[in-house]
Amino acid sequence: MTADTASAADVAPLAGPRPGLRRRLERAAPFLPGLAMLTLLFVIPMFIMLAFSFWKTNSSFDLVRDWNLNNYARFFNQPTYIRTFAKTLVMASAVTAAGLAISLPFTYFLVRYVSRRFQRAVLLAVIVPFWTSYLLRVYAWQAILGEKGALNQFLMATGIIQQPSTLFVYNDLAVFVVLIYVYFPFAALALYAALEKFDFTQLNAAQDLGARPDQAFRHILLPQIRTGIITACIFVFIPILGEFLTPTLVGGASGSLIANLIVNFTRQGQFPEGAALAIVIAVFVTILLVVFRRSLRVEDVVARG
Amino acid sequence: MADSTPAIELRHTTKRFGDTVALDDVSMVIEPGEFFCLLGPSGCGKTTTLNLIGGFIPMSSGELLIEGRTVTDLPPHKRNVNTVFQNYALFPHMTVAQNVAFGLRMERLPSAEVTRRTGEYLDLVGLAGLSRRLPSEMSGGQQQRVALARALAKRPAVLLLDEPLGALDLKLRKAMQTELSRIHRQVGTTFVFVTHDQDEALSMATRIAIMSGGQVSQVGTPREVYDRPVNRFVADFVGETNFLPGTVSTEGGRQMVVLSGGGRVAAPSGAPEGSATLMVRPESLTLRSSQEPAADACLAGRIVNVAFLGNHTRITVTTSAGDIVAIRPHGTNARPAHPIQELGEEVCVWWPADDAAIIAD
Repeated sequence: MTADTASAADVAPLAGPRPGLRRRLERAAPFLPGLAMLTLLFVIPMFIMLAFSFWKTNSSFDLVRDWNLNNYARFFNQPTYIRTFAKTLVMASAVTAAGLAISLPFTYFLVRYVSRRFQRAVLLAVIVPFWTSYLLRVYAWQAILGEKGALNQFLMATGIIQQPSTLFVYNDLAVFVVLIYVYFPFAALALYAALEKFDFTQLNAAQDLGARPDQAFRHILLPQIRTGIITACIFVFIPILGEFLTPTLVGGASGSLIANLIVNFTRQGQFPEGAALAIVIAVFVTILLVVFRRSLRVEDVVARG
Repeated sequence: MADSTPAIELRHTTKRFGDTVALDDVSMVIEPGEFFCLLGPSGCGKTTTLNLIGGFIPMSSGELLIEGRTVTDLPPHKRNVNTVFQNYALFPHMTVAQNVAFGLRMERLPSAEVTRRTGEYLDLVGLAGLSRRLPSEMSGGQQQRVALARALAKRPAVLLLDEPLGALDLKLRKAMQTELSRIHRQVGTTFVFVTHDQDEALSMATRIAIMSGGQVSQVGTPREVYDRPVNRFVADFVGETNFLPGTVSTEGGRQMVVLSGGGRVAAPSGAPEGSATLMVRPESLTLRSSQEPAADACLAGRIVNVAFLGNHTRITVTTSAGDIVAIRPHGTNARPAHPIQELGEEVCVWWPADDAAIIAD
């Protein structure tokens, strides 16, 4: 009798509850390192920051565990903060729109009319700026736009202006221009990946079926590169919400964005205020991503990034 | 109406790509309701011709009329022609029904009419039950049918088909050939079909234009181009042909062809004297045993290859005039008492004089 049950268990080892649990663990195992890293490097720091945002600092700049909502209240009651945040959103939207307006025609003509070999060369040229540091590139723009910069020298040499102009740098326009330059490659690469898969005879087919070129573009091309466009938007819009270096270097006093405020708080030792502001941005971005979630699958961003 | 307006008329059409002349002063008339095939090897200008008619590329010079109206400078969406593309070019983000309805929606037809016509043409191509599928969920043959329904639903004056069967396997291709012929009869639209496959052209077309080097070599019914090719290129491209160079001369009141490699055979009637190339189709040839007494002049040779191909056997004979291919069909009626098809056998190749033809180079 006992021998019988033992042999039955041997024949069907997967039937019992214990092996089932083991199998489930085996399946989960590959995810554990990633999960551990996410917890350690993302979830825990976020919670620390969240906790900070509800604390306060005393007169000697020590963190005091005194739970309150003052840091948030201060943000929402201070018109300058709200205005800076609104301005940041406008700036991010404008740069995203301009970046798309430039990179969409750029990648369209690249994919459709340029030979494969030459495409690679052009893409390499788009990526090359990443080989130098971000800081260096923005400094270079300072040198280009500055009072004694290349742009002024060029305009004076060609006689368009007589005196060097100070209008090119240390304002919002300079931030706008430099941010377009910095984020153009992200938008271009995201769109390139989407367009590269597109079969352009579909546009011929659409026109053959009676669509005007603009209708063919709208009904056939746009829906098929939609994820690429959304990816490009996310790659440009969200990082700009955290931009502080470009505004610092070429934005001057009037050009600061929301992240500059966080940097200021942190430099002044006001960690709770800075943390609260960071949480506000994080919540905003999360809402944004949830809204776009329906039209965007994670694997698209990863595969195309 | 003795002569109706042609569906398509090309007048002295030339297309240059840089220095290359893709189409060289081509004129062509396609009548309404025809199943017209443009046949030729790659680079002969057949696809260029189709693209010119479709409006996808501008012509360098010449004129194009569709149903009597000059459309030379009209963009594709203003021409009354529709195309079935080589790779089908279906819209992957739309269902089958949406693909078919796209052209009708662009026409701003009322939605009830769009639905009705979409159903009608999906029915025509036998896809009535699959209207909600995505193109990616269908086989190549089914995608082909969607492309066909999408183009036909517009009820164009002319349907252009750019090697639409090229991507299908042999069996499916044969089935689609029959299917295309049926659909053509059913809708009555003029079809212009581009292919490099002579079987396809012969089996479906009402008329064939054989193209080579940007020019039209010959236009005619399948039987005309097969039986009376105007030159060696056409004879070679359509079907299989034996070419025998020689000289036509009169001997004893009868015209003979003295073949270059030796041997003489009867010349087809009306052959002009002088050097000429004789063409004769493999199915016209009869192989006789060399022991048999020959009533007529025939060509002596030896069988060097026998290929059994199911419904026929292909026999290669080496003669003094070169290798000659003969085809022996299989079937109870065609089987002689002693079939001659042993490798190495000495035979005599004979054909009725008028089954051969003198061909221009």
